[in-house]
Amino acid sequence: MAGDLLTARAVRKEFGGLVACSDVDFTVPQGGIVSLIGPNGAGKTTFFNMLTGVYTPTSGEVTFDGHEVVGLPPHAVTQLGVGRTFQNIRLFPTMTGLENVLVGMHARLKGGIFRSILRTPGLRREEREAADRARELLRYCGLPREAEHTYAMNLSYGDQRRLEVARALGTEPKLLLLDEPTAGMNPQESAEFTSFVGRMRDERGLSILMIEHDMKVVMGISERVTVLDHGEKIAEGTPGEIQKDERVIEAYLGSAATADNGDGGLLE
Amino acid sequence: MSGRTGALGDAWARLPKRVRALALPVTVLLLVVLYPNYYQDVFNALGGGVTGQLAPTVPTMVVMCVYVIMALGLNVVVGYAGLLDLGYVAFYAAGAYIAGWFATLQFAPHKVHFLSVGVLPVLPGLHVNVWLLLIVGAVFATILGIIIGLPTLRLRGDYLAIVTLGFGEIIPQAVNNGDDWFGHNVTNGPNGLTPIDSLGFGVTIHKTFSFLPSSYRLEINSADYYYWTGVALVLFTLFCCIRLRDSRLGRAWVAIREDEIAAAAMGVPLMRTKTWAYAIGAFFGGAAGCFYAIFKSSTFPQDFSLNISIAVLCMVILGGMGNVWGVCLGGAVLAYLNYQGLEAVGNNLNHYAGTNLNIPQYTFGIFGIIIVAMMLIRPQGLIPTARRKIELEAGVEGGSLYDAAA
Amino acid sequence: MTAESGTARRPMLAALPRFSQQINRVLTWVVVGLFVVWVVGNFINAPKQFVSVFLLGVTLGSIYALVALGYTLVYGIIELINFAHGDVFMWGSMIAVTVSAHWLGLDGSQGWYVTAPLIFVTLLACIAFCGTLNVAIERLAYRPLRNAPKLAPLITAIGMSFILQNAGALVYGFIEQPVPDIFPTKPLFRIGGIAYTQKSLLIVLITIPVLLALVYLVRSTRQGKAMRAVAQDMDASRMMGIDVDRTIAFTFALGGALAGAAGLLFVMYQTSTRYDLGFQLGLFAFTAAVLGGIGNLTGAAFGALLIGLIQAFNEGLSWHTPGSSWTQSVIFSILILVLVFRPQGLLGEAVSDRA
Ligand SMILES: Nc1ncnc2c1ncn2[C@@H]1O[C@H](COP(=O)(O)OP(=O)(O)OP(=O)(O)O)[C@@H](O)[C@H]1O
Ligand SMILES: [Mg+2]
Repeated sequence: MAGDLLTARAVRKEFGGLVACSDVDFTVPQGGIVSLIGPNGAGKTTFFNMLTGVYTPTSGEVTFDGHEVVGLPPHAVTQLGVGRTFQNIRLFPTMTGLENVLVGMHARLKGGIFRSILRTPGLRREEREAADRARELLRYCGLPREAEHTYAMNLSYGDQRRLEVARALGTEPKLLLLDEPTAGMNPQESAEFTSFVGRMRDERGLSILMIEHDMKVVMGISERVTVLDHGEKIAEGTPGEIQKDERVIEAYLGSAATADNGDGGLLE
Repeated sequence: MSGRTGALGDAWARLPKRVRALALPVTVLLLVVLYPNYYQDVFNALGGGVTGQLAPTVPTMVVMCVYVIMALGLNVVVGYAGLLDLGYVAFYAAGAYIAGWFATLQFAPHKVHFLSVGVLPVLPGLHVNVWLLLIVGAVFATILGIIIGLPTLRLRGDYLAIVTLGFGEIIPQAVNNGDDWFGHNVTNGPNGLTPIDSLGFGVTIHKTFSFLPSSYRLEINSADYYYWTGVALVLFTLFCCIRLRDSRLGRAWVAIREDEIAAAAMGVPLMRTKTWAYAIGAFFGGAAGCFYAIFKSSTFPQDFSLNISIAVLCMVILGGMGNVWGVCLGGAVLAYLNYQGLEAVGNNLNHYAGTNLNIPQYTFGIFGIIIVAMMLIRPQGLIPTARRKIELEAGVEGGSLYDAAA
Repeated sequence: MTAESGTARRPMLAALPRFSQQINRVLTWVVVGLFVVWVVGNFINAPKQFVSVFLLGVTLGSIYALVALGYTLVYGIIELINFAHGDVFMWGSMIAVTVSAHWLGLDGSQGWYVTAPLIFVTLLACIAFCGTLNVAIERLAYRPLRNAPKLAPLITAIGMSFILQNAGALVYGFIEQPVPDIFPTKPLFRIGGIAYTQKSLLIVLITIPVLLALVYLVRSTRQGKAMRAVAQDMDASRMMGIDVDRTIAFTFALGGALAGAAGLLFVMYQTSTRYDLGFQLGLFAFTAAVLGGIGNLTGAAFGALLIGLIQAFNEGLSWHTPGSSWTQSVIFSILILVLVFRPQGLLGEAVSDRA
C-alpha cells in the first residue's frame, strides 16, 4: 500500500531467553489511526520502544518516512517525527506544565550556548514564540490554565496524561505513539479522549498508533487493529474483523483468568 | 509597613520598582568590591590580635573567589545535569598547568614571548600574555572535559562517579611523574612550575592609565588586584550560569536529571547535552585553576588531590545543588574555613581555652561531617531551589538509558 | 522521492551500536592478548624474579579479595559503591595493632601455641569491631537515604569515608602505626635470592577457607537466599515476608567482618598501617570487584587476584613495566577501561536493565 509512514519488517526482540517480540511485520499508513492490542506482557510496549529507538531490535528493520530507524538513538527518531507518550507516565515531575512541553520542543528550537548566554534578540523571540506555542498546546490538549505554572507531579492524574500528549505534540511529530493513554480514566474521560484523538489526526495531519486496553476506545476510532500475543502478531484487520477473530478471543479469554490485576477490563 | 518606618520608608516606597530591586545586589556588590579598603577595620573591629585572625585576609578572599568559581562550575555538572563528577580537580590541574607551561621558565632555553606583560624581555622560556592564558586554560580544560566525557558520560550515575574519580587520581600522578615522560621533563614533577608570570596590563597601557598596574606582582597591594580580578571572574561565571540555567539547554539538563529516558524520547540528545554540561563545568574549573596558579605564581602536583574535588563537591552540597546563590555561599564559607577560618578558630581556642588542638589537620573530617549531615538532614542545601528540594525529598529520579551493561 | 522506494536511507550512525560491540570484543581480546604477552615476556626475561613476584602478588591479591568481597556484597544488594568500606578495613588494621600488640602484648617472641590462639582472639575482635562499625554506618548514614535519589547515598558514603579517616587520625595520629612481626617470618624457600616466608603462605591459607565459607553462606543458607532475593527485587522480597532491613544489615555485617579480617592480615603482612591507606586500597579492591563483574563473588576473588598480580608485577618486574610510581594510574586505568568497555566485568555476561 502506498503512503505507509512507518514500516516494520520482521522486528524481533529477545531479553535473554525471553522473546518479547517475535518477527512482527507492521505498517502505519499516512494519516491513519492504528491500534495495537493484546493481553498483558504481549510485547506491545517493547514494540513501541523499538520503534522509538529506546531498544535496538535483535533483528529486523524499521523504516519511518523513508529513514531507517534501527540503531538511531531515541532523540534522532524523535527528530524524524515520532512523538510518544509512556504507559506509566514519565513527565518531568518538578518541571511545570509549560516547561514539560518546552522540553518536548527541544529538537525544534535552536538556541545554543553562546546565544543563550548573550540572550540575543533572535533567541528571545524564539523563546517567546516557543512559550506561546507551548501554551497553545496545553490548551489544545484540554489542560486547565493553572497547569502552565504547576509542577507536573502536582497535576491530577488525568491532566498528567493530557500533559504527556501535549509534550509529545511539542516534538512536532508526524506519527504519534500513545501507550495506553486512557488507562485510569473514567468512561466519560475516555470517550472525550477518543474524539480528541480523531480531532488531532484531522486538525494536525498526524498519523496515530495507539496501544489501548479499553475496547470501546479501540473499536470506536481505529481504522485498523493489530493484535499481539506472546510477542507474536496473531491477527490484523478492521475492528469488526478483530472482534470476530477466534484466535483473538482465545488469547484474551486465556489470559483473562490470570490477568485480573485491574488493568481495565479487557473484554469490556 | 511604611507607617512604622516613617518618612524614610515612604521615600523608599516611592522609588521606582527597578531601583528597589537593584538596591540589595548593588549594596552587596559594593561591600564585596570594597573589601580590601575596609579589611583593616574589620580586623580591628574583631579586636585585632588572635581574634582578628578570624577576619578573612585579602589573599583568603582571592582563594574564596577561586573556589566559588569552581563550585559554580561543578554546580553545572552536579546541580544542573545531575552528573556526579568526583574528578573535577583534573580540570583545575589542566588550567593551572597551562599557566605553568606558557608563563614560566620551564621550557628554557627556548624563548617565546607573546604579548607578555610585566616580563623582562630577556627572560627565556615561554611567556604568553597571562590574560590570554586564562582563556587558553579554560578552553584546554574544556577540551579535556570533552575527551574524558565522550566515552564516560554514557555510563550510569555511580559508574560515572567512580570513573571520574579514577581520572582525578590518575592526572595528579601523571603530573607528578611528568619530569620524566619518556625522557622529557614536561611538568617538572613534584617540584612544580614556578614562578609564573603575574597578571598586569603591560607598560604601554600603564603609561596611559597610570592607575592600572603594569604587573600585579610589582605592586605593594598586589593581592587587592587579584581580588578584584577574582570578583570579576566570579561575576562572569555567575552571569553565564544563570543565563544557561534559564535556557533551552538548562531545561534539557533538568529533564535529563529527572528522567533520562523521557528526555531522550522528547528529542533531547543525551550525549551532547551531558557533554555540554561537562564541558562548561570544565571550562570554569580550568579558568579557576589557571587564575589560582597565576595568583600563587606556582603550581604543584600536590595541589590536585582528590580532597579538592571532594571539597568543591561539599561546597555545592552545602549551598544547595543547582542554586547559584547557595553555591556561592557554600564555596565562600568552606574555602574560608579551609584556607583560614579553621586555623583561626583553632588558634583562638588554643589561646583562650588553653587547648592544644590542630584543627586544620581535620579539615576533611569536618567536610565529611558536613557532607553526611547535609545529605541526611537537609539534602537540598542551605539555599535550595524549589525544584531540587522536591526531587530530593520525594526521591524523584528516572532510570538511565545507557545502562552500564546495555 | 517516495517513502517506500526499496531500501531506506541508512544513516552511518545506525550501524554504530552493532559495530561498536564488535570493536569492543576485539579490543577486549587485544588488551588481554597484550597483557599475556607482557606477562610471558617478563617470565622469559627473569624467570626466578617472576616466580617470587608472582607469589607476592597472590598474597596481595588475597587481601584485596577479602576487601573486594565487601564491596561486591554491598553493591550486589543495594547498588551502592560503599566508599567507606576501605576505611572500615583501615580501622580493622588499627584494631589489629591495638589488640595484638598493645593489649595482648604479642611481639613475635612467643611460641606458636601462644601466638596462634591470641591471633585468633585478635581476629575475632577485628571482625566484631568492623562488622559492628559497618552495620552502624549503614543504619545511620545509608538506611535513611534508601528512597532518595541514587546519588545521595553515594555522596554520603564519600563523606563517611572522610569521617572514618579523620577519626582514625584522631585516635591513632597521622603517622604510621607499627606492629612487630607476629606471624612467623621464616623463609619457606628462596627463589632468586628472595625469600617466600611462612607468613605469606599463611595469608593465602587463611583467605581461601574464608572465601569458601562465604560462597557457601550466600549460595546455600537461608540468610544467603534472603540476600539474593533482596538483591533481585527489594519490594517483592518484602512482600514475600523477608525482613529487608535485617538482610541488608546482615550483608553489611558480613562485609565489615571480611574487611576486619583483611585488616588483620594486612597489618600482619605489612607490619604497619596508617589512617589514610584505606581509601586507596579500598579503591584498588573496588577495581578488583569491577574487574570480576560487580555483584559476583567468585568474580571479585578472581579480580582481586588479578589486581594483586598486576600490582606486584608492576612494582617488582622490569620488562616494560611502568614501575611503582605509576601503580595507582595503572590500576585506575584498568578501572576506567573496564567500566567504559566492559562494565559487566571480565566474567560477566551483558544484561540489559529495563527501560
Ligand atoms: N528490559 C527488559 N528486560 C527483560 N524483560 C523485559 C524487558 N522489557 C520487557 N520485558 C518483558 O517482555 C515482555 C513484554 O513486555 P511489554 O512491556 O512489552 O508488554 P506489554 O504488552 O506492554 O504489556 P502491558 O499491557 O502490561 O503493558 C514481558 O514479559 C516483560 O517482562
Ligand atoms: Mg505496556
